[in-house]
Amino acid sequence: MTTPKLLEGARQGAHFFDTGGRRYLDADCSAGIFNLGRRRPELAEALKRAARAADQGNFPIISEEKALLAEALAHFVPGPLECSLYGVTRGEAFDAACKVARGFTKRPGLAALEGAWHGETGFALSLSQRADRDLYGPLIPETALLPFGDLAAAERAVTNTTAAVFLEPVQAENGCRAVTPEYARGLADLCRARGALLVVDETQTNFGRTGARFAFERLGVEPDILILGEALGGGMFPITVTLLTQRVNGFMNDHPLIHLSTFGGSDVACLVARAALGLYAAEKPWDNAAAMGKRLRAALDGLVERFPDLLSGVAGEGLLLALRTPSPETARALCAACLENGLLVAAGRAARDTVVIRPSLLVTEAETDELASSLEAALRAVSSGA
Amino acid sequence: MAENTGPATMTKQDKARIFALFGRHINRNQIKYLSAGHLDVFETRREGVGFTDPLTGRRMYDCFTAAGCFNVSRRNPEVLAALEAAADEVDMGSRLLPSPHKEALARRLSALAPGDLDRVLFAAGGGEAVECALKLARGATGRPKIVSTVKAYHGHTGFALSANGKEHYRHCFEPLMPGFVFVPFNDLDAAAKVIDGDTAAVILEPVQGEAGIFPGTPEYLRGLRDLCDRHGALLIFDEIQTGFGRTGRMFASEHSGVVPDIMTVAKSLGGGLCANAAVIHRDTPLLRGFREAHPDFHETHAGGGDLACRVSLKVLDYLEQNRLWENAERQGARLKAALNDLMRANPRIIREVRGVGMMVGVEYIHEFMGPMMSDALARHGVFAAYSGNAPQVMRFMAPITVSDAELDGIIAAIRAAVRDMKTLLPLALLAARVPGVLKLLNNEKMQTALFSWVRKAEDLFSRGGGN
Repeated sequence: MTTPKLLEGARQGAHFFDTGGRRYLDADCSAGIFNLGRRRPELAEALKRAARAADQGNFPIISEEKALLAEALAHFVPGPLECSLYGVTRGEAFDAACKVARGFTKRPGLAALEGAWHGETGFALSLSQRADRDLYGPLIPETALLPFGDLAAAERAVTNTTAAVFLEPVQAENGCRAVTPEYARGLADLCRARGALLVVDETQTNFGRTGARFAFERLGVEPDILILGEALGGGMFPITVTLLTQRVNGFMNDHPLIHLSTFGGSDVACLVARAALGLYAAEKPWDNAAAMGKRLRAALDGLVERFPDLLSGVAGEGLLLALRTPSPETARALCAACLENGLLVAAGRAARDTVVIRPSLLVTEAETDELASSLEAALRAVSSGA
Repeated sequence: MAENTGPATMTKQDKARIFALFGRHINRNQIKYLSAGHLDVFETRREGVGFTDPLTGRRMYDCFTAAGCFNVSRRNPEVLAALEAAADEVDMGSRLLPSPHKEALARRLSALAPGDLDRVLFAAGGGEAVECALKLARGATGRPKIVSTVKAYHGHTGFALSANGKEHYRHCFEPLMPGFVFVPFNDLDAAAKVIDGDTAAVILEPVQGEAGIFPGTPEYLRGLRDLCDRHGALLIFDEIQTGFGRTGRMFASEHSGVVPDIMTVAKSLGGGLCANAAVIHRDTPLLRGFREAHPDFHETHAGGGDLACRVSLKVLDYLEQNRLWENAERQGARLKAALNDLMRANPRIIREVRGVGMMVGVEYIHEFMGPMMSDALARHGVFAAYSGNAPQVMRFMAPITVSDAELDGIIAAIRAAVRDMKTLLPLALLAARVPGVLKLLNNEKMQTALFSWVRKAEDLFSRGGGN
């Protein structure tokens, strides 16, 4: 990138400032972490309170902080996902899901979908669509990527040696391609018939991003395992969770302390996450995400019409949207031009010719319009070859 | 001292309520397992070298320290103040952007790291740092083989678990990654047989922690360095438990002077409050070339957050201003001397005392003695855990801020615990002579059941009493 180096300074709401005081709209939100906006004062205060009462704690032991967050999650998340296995980052939560699935079913097979991007850790990398996968040597065996949306192919691939099928409701890093409820339900039925677990990875879609509290609710499936990302800590403090049904948690009960995390579910993190859950419940950001998502979508559709050489389409749900460009180079150029115009966005990691747009779920109408006009200015700049 | 608003007392009803929630929503048997070893304590008034168990009001010396997270003590006031100030200004920060805090910490780590280790990648915890290090090694060399050590502990995610040398943590989750081979620790000949032109990296802890505190000898570490150089393999030191003063040096590798190509650090970098970790590597053409070609080969979403970096910077300030590694060396030597005295007086209980600095392990004669001692120690106000990878070994890893008087308190408690053990021992040893019983006693599940029963009987007899 030829742009001068930008150092992140202050942050507030949908925006952050560089150290020179210039304001940017954050439409990346660290891949869906800052759902509640940047440095929410309530969460900063919750963190300070937490650090006065506790610290990270000794990770193997029982604490009230861990227990109360797990209880709150069981109530917050719909369905029978009552048990928590904490992590600190999304890849860790995903790898934990893979391990629990293998341990519970005593089967080796793990299947994700083509176009998936589950994270950077060993299992997650093994189940992601990455051009650079082969660089890291032989990865986890017995892993497969199923052709997206193809139930017949899944019928053939999911067998009685399959431990779990993993799906992202919206493939954020792959052009925000969404699975249809029919396909999701088909996979769920198939999993049930073959004795495999259905795992939904909501690290990019959780807590309202797609206009629903959780995206799986709209798909009409009941996951056996649900992965929630760092948005759980509201962007103030890292924590993730792998949620399990009582039935699946039976494996963890039979093998206590077989999967450890020093920082995952630290006492401070649990206290901050509980405050974040309170904000999510009170502010229902999914409602605003649905409304502003519609407004933004309309604006983006307009841009696709006006810049047909640079944009070929929009996809996604709520405030998780992606623009498709002709090439990875165009996408990169567009991201750089957006930064020049006060807007932070990133290209998709799987589909590198896409630009993902995921602002704070609490953006106002004015901020949504600001996002669209910054994007338009960037498109004009790229189009004129500036 | 900052205020501490944690509840000072807890009733048995509170405990039962929390246990019920934890059992229902996290793990039922974890409670049983911990209760059996008297490790079902709660932590309030976390400060200095320990915490208060709100149920008994007993002050506990923390000799586990989340396996090396509390080097600068529990809720160090200066570190706490840094966290509070940071929370007023920053959040986790963007995964895409550098910041003054990230850059300052990267500069600081590269200045502190041994030799020419000076490029920094952040991660969210030790496990993620190992993932990143192994991806870097395989990616840069284009080779598949990773040489790890028997009983090594590197973490629980895909790459790290594949490098974990303990069957217990792996067997439910196989098949793991091919290409990982394990050699006995401190055995250079065994390493020489497997390190070859296909080897991307050798990964090891300079002092094996979870395995039961085994320091790598300088000859061994130097030998590995030579073998790696000869075959173009990378040497990775996992300093997650040993880093930041724990062993009497800022990093354990300084004891031997061997500089690895890649080093992973975590734990105390977060000051016991935040999650932070890093991979620090040499700026060789091989590694530089790979990173230039693949700048986003490992993206961290939660590591190197701005808030955590500001806390980490204060941790490093505190370590350096107080030269805490010197205290770790001095107090560690005192602890080892006291434990060696205990061993000489109790040869039927203690087999060996090992360690470097304030990373000291006591090996008991039998595996079943680990949980028994955890129990006895807890009653005398020391929170210590036996090693996950070796239950007959107990680790003593107190905060390295520990004073003379505090260490004297820890030593007195260990002495008292050994005295308690002696009264229980004749029975256990007698039972152990019956064929098969020793095996039973050394079985983890059996211990949980047995000690749960003992614990209930004790509670029955001590009903209404304090201790």
